[in-house]
Parts: sequence; C-alpha cells; structure tokens
Amino acid sequence: MAITLYDFELSGNCYKLRLLMSILKLRYDIVPVDFYPGRQHKADWFLRLNPFGQLPVLKDDDLTLSDSGAILAYLARKYDDTGLWFPDDPAITAEVLRWHAVADDITSTASAARLALGFFYDFDVAKAQKGAHRIFRLMDEHLWFGEREGRDWLCGPAHPTTADIACFPYVMLSEEGGISRQDYPALRRWTDRVRRIPGFTVMSGVFPAGRALEEA
Amino acid sequence: MTLSLSDPTWYPIASSEDLPYRHVYQGQLLGRELAVWRADDGNVNVWENRCLHRGVRLSIGINEGGELKCQYHGWRYANRSAGCTYIPAHPADAPARRIQNRTYPVREAYGLIWSSANDQQAFRPFAGAEGHDWFALRPMPVNAAPEDVLAALVGLAPDDQPADLLPGLAVRFGGTYYFVQPVDAGRAVIRGLLRERPADPVAALRHYNELLSKLRDRLERSASRKPAPEPLQPAYDKVSADLATMPDIAIPRGNTVTVVVKRKWTSADGVIGFELAARDGHLPTFQPGAHIDLHLPNGMTRQYSITNGPGELMSYIIGVKQESASKGGSKVLVETVREGDLLSISEPRNNFPLRRDATRTVLIAGGIGITPLLSMARFLDKSALPYELHYFTRAGETTAFRSELEALHGKVIFHTGLPRSEIGTTIAAALGQWSMAQHVYVCGPGPMLETVRATATAQGWPDESIHFEYFKNDKIIDSSSSFDVELARSAMTLHVPSGKSIMEVMREAGLTVPSSCEQGACGTCLTTVIEGEVDHQDVYLNDSEKRANSCMMTCVSRAKSARLVLDI
Ligand SMILES: N[C@@H](CCC(=O)N[C@@H](CS)C(=O)NCC(=O)O)C(=O)O
Ligand code: FES
Repeated sequence: MAITLYDFELSGNCYKLRLLMSILKLRYDIVPVDFYPGRQHKADWFLRLNPFGQLPVLKDDDLTLSDSGAILAYLARKYDDTGLWFPDDPAITAEVLRWHAVADDITSTASAARLALGFFYDFDVAKAQKGAHRIFRLMDEHLWFGEREGRDWLCGPAHPTTADIACFPYVMLSEEGGISRQDYPALRRWTDRVRRIPGFTVMSGVFPAGRALEEA
Repeated sequence: MTLSLSDPTWYPIASSEDLPYRHVYQGQLLGRELAVWRADDGNVNVWENRCLHRGVRLSIGINEGGELKCQYHGWRYANRSAGCTYIPAHPADAPARRIQNRTYPVREAYGLIWSSANDQQAFRPFAGAEGHDWFALRPMPVNAAPEDVLAALVGLAPDDQPADLLPGLAVRFGGTYYFVQPVDAGRAVIRGLLRERPADPVAALRHYNELLSKLRDRLERSASRKPAPEPLQPAYDKVSADLATMPDIAIPRGNTVTVVVKRKWTSADGVIGFELAARDGHLPTFQPGAHIDLHLPNGMTRQYSITNGPGELMSYIIGVKQESASKGGSKVLVETVREGDLLSISEPRNNFPLRRDATRTVLIAGGIGITPLLSMARFLDKSALPYELHYFTRAGETTAFRSELEALHGKVIFHTGLPRSEIGTTIAAALGQWSMAQHVYVCGPGPMLETVRATATAQGWPDESIHFEYFKNDKIIDSSSSFDVELARSAMTLHVPSGKSIMEVMREAGLTVPSSCEQGACGTCLTTVIEGEVDHQDVYLNDSEKRANSCMMTCVSRAKSARLVLDI
C-alpha cells in the first residue's frame, strides 16, 4: 500500500484527508501542488489526474481518486477496521452522504469567501458569506437539538463519522472569509469536540482546543 | 429608543448550557465583544474578548480550567481576576505588575448568564423570578434592531393574554418570558424562559424554536428593507505599552488586603493549615511559587507560600509550621489566631517563578517546604504538563496536604522517614543527569537545599535550571563599604560608616524605619532609590528587580557609589 496525496497546504479540502489519515494513523506521501499562486491544478499534468482541475487528488497504488468526500469514504471503508467512520448501515450511509453534500455547499460558500478575501479570487463575497451563514444557522440548530437529544455529532451514531471531518475545515476557517461564528454557539462547541478527536491534527488557521475536563 | 454604550442594565448574554467546562463562548453586549468561560470551579468569567498582548480574540483561546490561555503567544489569565499569570516569552520571570484584562459583572441565574456594560447597577432578579424551576429556550440570534425585536415579541401575545413589558428589553405573557439581548444596534438575541419545565422538553423546545425562527425571518426581511443602523462604537482602551510588555522595574510593596480566617485545621503533625478568604469578591492574582506577607497581631511580618492551584482566588491556603522553638512568628499564628479573625496580608509576590516550557520539571520538597511546590504541581497538573514531585518528611504523620497531593495526576513520590544517609542518594536519583530544558525547584530546610544544589551541580545541572527560594538570608553581609545617603524627602544627608547599616544610621538620626526580619528577606524596609548605584545584599528582590536599581532593602544593602539618594 502506498498512498500519495496531491496536496495544497492551505486547502481545507486537502486538510480533510490529512485529518482522517492522521486519525487512522495512515502513512502517506505528499506531492505539493501550487494551487495559489501557481494554478498548478489547471496544468496538463494535473488535469490528467483529475480532469475537473480540483484538489485534492489521492493515489492509492494504481488507483487515482478525486473529490474529498469520495476519498474520505474510500479511506474509511478501506482502512478503518472499526467501521465507525463510514458505517455500513444503509440509513447511516445516507445520513453521512447528506452531510458530505452539505460540505460541498460549505466549500462553495465559506471557502469561496475565504478565497476571495485571502487569495484574490473574483467571487461575490457578500453572496458567499450570506450562503455560509444560512448553512451555519441550520447546522447550529441541528447540533443544538443534538445536544438536547444526546447526539454530539452531525450523524446519529454515538461517534464521529466522515460527515464531521468533511464539514469541519471550512467551518473552522470561516473567519478568514469574514464569517463570524458568534451566532452559532452549538456549532462552536462541535468544533471543540472535533478538535478533541484522538489523532486530530491542525492546519494553518485551525487551532487546538485543549483538553476536555474528563481527560485533564 | 437608541442603545447606549453606558446602559447599566443587566441583560442575559448566554444560556448556562452554552458554557460547558473547558469551552470559551463568544458573546457580545452593546457592541462589546466578550469571551465567556466557565472555570472548573463553576465560576463564570465575562471578559473583554481581546488579549492584552496583541489584541487577539480570547474566544479562540484555550480554557485550561483555572486559566485561559491565549492562542497567539500563550499569555495565561487567571479565573476571576483576569490577571496575567504567565508570559511564555519570559518563562523565567513572574509578571511582576498587575497586568489584568477587563472583566464585566456576571451572574448566573434562571438558566441564563447575565452581564452588564458596567457595574453601576446591582443585579436584581426580574419581577416574579424567585421560586420557579426556569426552563431556557433555544436562543435565537436575529439580525434586526433590538427595539424592533422587542416590538415583534410583544406582537406574539395571545389575544386573551396581554403582553406585560418588563424593564430591560423584556416582555412576558403568562409563564413565557422573552429577554432581548442587545448585541449591537442591528443585532439581537431572543432569550426565552418558561416558568415551568414542560412535560415534553424537547417538543416544547422545537415548538418555540419554530415560532421564533418565523419571527426572526419576518424581522430580518423587514430589516433588510431599511438602511442598516450604524454599529455601536465601543472605545477599546488601548493597552499601554508598559502593560503589554514584561516590566523590568521592581514594584514597591503592594497594598495590604484584609482577609478573614475561614478555616484553621491540623493538616499534619506540626503543620496547621489556614484558609484566608477575601471579605468580598476575590483575592489578587498570584502565580505558582508566590508568597504573601502576613502581618501578625504582635506586629511581626512572616512570609507564607500560597498553595492554591490556578484561578483559585476566593481564598489563599497556607501551611504554617508549629515550631516550639519559634521566636513568636508562627507561634502567634498557631496559638492565638482563630477562625473568624481578620488578618492583614500583602498582595502576592513571586520570587520563585515556575517555567512552563520545561520538558521535565522536578519538584523537591522537604517538610513545610511543600507549600509553594504544591501550588506549582497544581498549575502543571491543570495544563497537563509533566512533573515529578518528591516530598521528604520525617514521619508519615508530618506529611502535610497529603489528600491534596494524592488528588494530583502527576507523579507524586512520598519519601517518609528516610535515614539521613539515604536522602542524598534519593535526591541524586530523583534528579538524574541534566539535559536541555529540565528544571528543578526545591524548597525545604537549609541543609536539604544545599544538598539539592550541590548534587544537581555535580550531575551537570546549570545554575539557571536550579530554582529555590529563601525566606531567610543566610548570606554573610559585607558591610565594609562607607558612603553617604541623601534622604530626599527628609532633606537630610547621613554618612554610613563601615560596620553599620543604612537602617541603623537612619534610626540613630531619629527616623522611624519599619522593619521585620532585618536580614533582607521580608521586604518590609523596601525603599525607593532615586540616584546612586545599589549594592544589593538581600534575598527579597529578584535579579531583574535588582538590576533595575530602583529600590533596595536598607537593612542589609548598601551603596557601590559614593552617594545614594533615597525617597525617604
Ligand atoms: N467537491 C470537491 C471540491 C474541491 C475543491 O473545491 N477544491 C479546490 C481547492 S480547496 C479547488 O481545487 N478549486 C479549484 C477549482 O474548483 O477550479 C472536493 O470536496 O474535493
Ligand atoms: S496576543 Fe495574546 S499572547 Fe500575544
């Protein structure tokens, strides 16, 4: 087994994979791709790996995969012996995929605002921010009621799944796109919980949460 | 109605449930951003959401249980006081001055956290608050002017139940209360309370959540048709450079604080514990290793280390050795001071600062010397930093603070009743060979201190890695110099000959000079130096304070220059 991640250090979508691989204690190689300012993800060599011209791309031996959500599912299915990260149960699978889709919506809103403000992308910032706030509101409500009902994570099981990994990075980086999380206290508490998952790792702009009381 | 930055009303700013342990909540009231966190002792802190160092939001910091740690450069602030307890860029020094973040008043009641922009008004429960089991609804943030939000809530009143407006942007109908938190000119949070716990809590929460979501959507639609109100412009007091950097000047003796003896107990054979509580509010910030001066009823002053952990500011706990031979210091305390008595103490001082950047920390205590090390162990414990604490006592019964030590998570090793010959080898083994970033802290009887210093040195530990504190000055005072002292305020110049101290000469000239230990250990005679170079011989000032040359102890220290000008 030899895993290679085509990676851009500041990309939240690439970070999703580094995060899960860190949690699953997988060894992998990194091929840095100069997303900004080099736009290497539109270079011919990269388009041959992913014609959609998007990071991340992951190679596992001869297999070439793209789309962070799809890769999260692949890694969990293949390498997570506990079966917890991407559970087999049809209903839970649907629930997880539902949040993978939300994660893509977060990419096209919160991440777009961040790219516009931090990487000079020509996006409609106000529209991107508004879209992110709409999603964060729904997530906060979902997580707030989850706390009342004894659910700590986005999906039903009593443990995190790839849904939490997929949604986490651009929520956590939202301030870089001018999106405050002040109005989303339950969402903020969930980011503490994600940051306390054993094996958690950081990226630029994502800080550790410190220990929980039980483990202190 | 326009919002005022100086509005003294108490508003709810969070639900109790918003503040689990080890979390930092981000709030806002009347335009001011707040970092809100619950310490492990349950106390809720409402602070300005800015680190005094570089203004970074403290709400992204780490709640360590007793201290809040800034995410940027790691400044730590204490529970309750918001006083700075540690500056990683100066790991070997104690923040000598009172660097303190801005705190806001806080009250936790009826399932909500209440605060106000200033402390001009005492907290008063809303009418009818007492005697009910209040049930908090899901808070609903709304992007609309607080007064418009209140008006819309009034409109929710059922026909047969007129809305009852309460002071402070609140309204009630029947057993349903809504409080509007004025976040900013164009933002509010609706905080609802039900007077009774509903039979099906989750169903009730969903019902009200739906109701308030619809109200919010209506309010936001109409707000978006109006020009957005100007946000409030709270003035942030700029932190002065001298507060935001490490001070290098000594502080003169701080104010005294009156405390009440809340508890007096026998902690071990020959060791009496005293709990000294604040009369109201909390006591000043202290750092691990700090001590207080206790002014005894017989006029003497004695130093005692604070044993507390981080953020424990409601009372200081000290341990006092019951020495039969004692000249009347601890004897008075042990024999005549009773629970309920008032005592006067100094603000905490730290001549024994703890580094928190060590890869290995060894704490060695002998007998009553456990007190500062207990505090250090508690701080390291909360931050989950590794340490080994070796506690030497003569017999099991003399082991003070045993249950407190057993509650720690680190490595605590009791060495009880070792023969003298074994103490040395045990210390040698405890220390081991030195390597980078290891530090040892020792407190105990003089011979033990010497053994640790000598052993550590022999095993390669450099001076900077060996930390100890003197409560006694064992150094031989060199009084061979002679010089003049000019007493600026007394308009007097005196000659100090060799063999006499400045203090003695001043007393001979008829001046009253306060003193206690007269060996440069207690700090009672601390005097401000205006001019001249001091020959420090005390053990009270730390090295940076000595280097600053701005104050001295007149009982033992002298002059290197021909003339000293003192502020006396
Ligand atoms: N749904 C994709 C989105 C990936 C994505 O948006 N990647 C960004 C980098 S973080 C990218 O390559 N954007 C360039 C583009 O879309 O042209 C995933 O989750 O992998
Ligand atoms: S900004 Fe907080 S420690 Fe520097």
